[in-house]
Amino acid sequence: MTPMKVALLGLGSVGRGVAQVLSNPSYGFVITAAADSKSGVVAEQGTSLNMDDVFSRKAATGKCGDAAWTADRIVKEAEYDILVEVTPTNAQTGEPALSNIRAALQRGKHVVTSNKGPVSIAYPELSRLAAEHNVAFLFEGTVAGAVPIINGLTHGLAGNKVHQLFGILNGTCNYVLTRMEEEGLTYSQALDEARDLGYAEADPTYDVNGTDAAIKLVILANAVFNMGVTLDDVIRIGIDRLTPDALRMAGTTGHTIRLIASIHPDKRLLEVSPRLIPKDHPLVVEGTLNSVTVETELAGPITFIGRGAGSVETASAVLADLLAVKERYGGA
Amino acid sequence: MGDGLLLGLDTVQISLRLELNDKPGQLLAAIKPVSDSGANIISIMHQRGAEASNGTLIVDIVVSLPQSRLDQLKTALTENGIEIIRIGTEHLTCTKTFILIGHILHTDLTDTVNRIDKANIAEVTELHIIMPHITQPSTAKLTIKAAGAAEMEQAFEILMKIAEEKHLLIVDEMEDEP
Repeated sequence: MTPMKVALLGLGSVGRGVAQVLSNPSYGFVITAAADSKSGVVAEQGTSLNMDDVFSRKAATGKCGDAAWTADRIVKEAEYDILVEVTPTNAQTGEPALSNIRAALQRGKHVVTSNKGPVSIAYPELSRLAAEHNVAFLFEGTVAGAVPIINGLTHGLAGNKVHQLFGILNGTCNYVLTRMEEEGLTYSQALDEARDLGYAEADPTYDVNGTDAAIKLVILANAVFNMGVTLDDVIRIGIDRLTPDALRMAGTTGHTIRLIASIHPDKRLLEVSPRLIPKDHPLVVEGTLNSVTVETELAGPITFIGRGAGSVETASAVLADLLAVKERYGGA
Repeated sequence: MGDGLLLGLDTVQISLRLELNDKPGQLLAAIKPVSDSGANIISIMHQRGAEASNGTLIVDIVVSLPQSRLDQLKTALTENGIEIIRIGTEHLTCTKTFILIGHILHTDLTDTVNRIDKANIAEVTELHIIMPHITQPSTAKLTIKAAGAAEMEQAFEILMKIAEEKHLLIVDEMEDEP
């Protein structure tokens, strides 16, 4: 079977993970074009890129290729079957990823992304475009990293009515709260520690104020529950005011505090806020892990736990989407 | 009535603290609706000297009655001009814990508790507060008991309103029961 051709946008941590995973020929993909924010590289017709060379060049020069090959030009002109869009999230506009994804779909190319921006902002439009052009638009990696929550809900639990969904969807907040609970650290001490370990960004505002988790909720609400909501529909309360005393007091009755993202589809209620939760609840995970519990009609409660971020972990979700595209469209 | 016929699965024991005008016939005005409601009166306690400063009397009554008739009893008492100051916790079967963070004392803690208690639907039964420093936010753990889920929801709404006015952060329990 001919390998499917991938154009890879984004050569950061996730892009590196995707390239590493796809280097295994048994999956049946080749990378024929790649771009970072400054430049791009396109393989000669009939060949594929050696991604080790691409990353070496990027490390040496700061550019992966030729500045003339911008990402949007690759999307419109390069030869590929699937666009893999793994650039960082722009929560406000979704750009430039949104335009690139739109252009790829309009060109009749499949799109797989781990970028939350375009999916949370424009899911209805993008899914309609994909349907019109009879291509796939998949984004398992946008929510809870390696945890197959979107596929788990849409396929694994297909047909089940979900009464409620609860998730720990932000590893930074979960790390901070775990450390406040375990060591009695203040919020700022725990956040500094998370920054030192690379678990928090230099500006962690979107993580700690609940926006990142809220964006993931919007994706689930629209893609899984068809709720047609936007970020403004999510009640958002962050963790920045929590005190070590609050965690200590919660502990006296066997509870802890976690930043819980919840969806109540029937009530059309979406909320991200710190909640008291029994320490022995399956949803309670430690450190940077993510978890999701769904209360379903037939299957009862089901909990998913796993790594919510990371290079190869997110690439795992991208790979699953790529293989789904291949299974459905890649027969040729 | 007091014939015990009404004892059933939903029978609850309730203590009522009533405020009566210090006039003849007032005690009967309080007891008759209780009796008419089909409740068994377990005890009536009235201490002379428990008069409130405004010339009213305080009477404590413990009754057992079906939970479903509680609202009827409350209405009948109110219609007879009796004020229900407090309904005891024996029937408050729904318990929830909240954590409040902010300048809890500066913003008048008594008022916060009173506003929940006064609504007569729920009661603050436990309050634990830690103040690290006068300038720093305090943390309080508050246990509220209510007659049922609907009453708890009402109490929570009051608490949310107070929190908004006083800039307090509320951490409530995750409810994952379907």
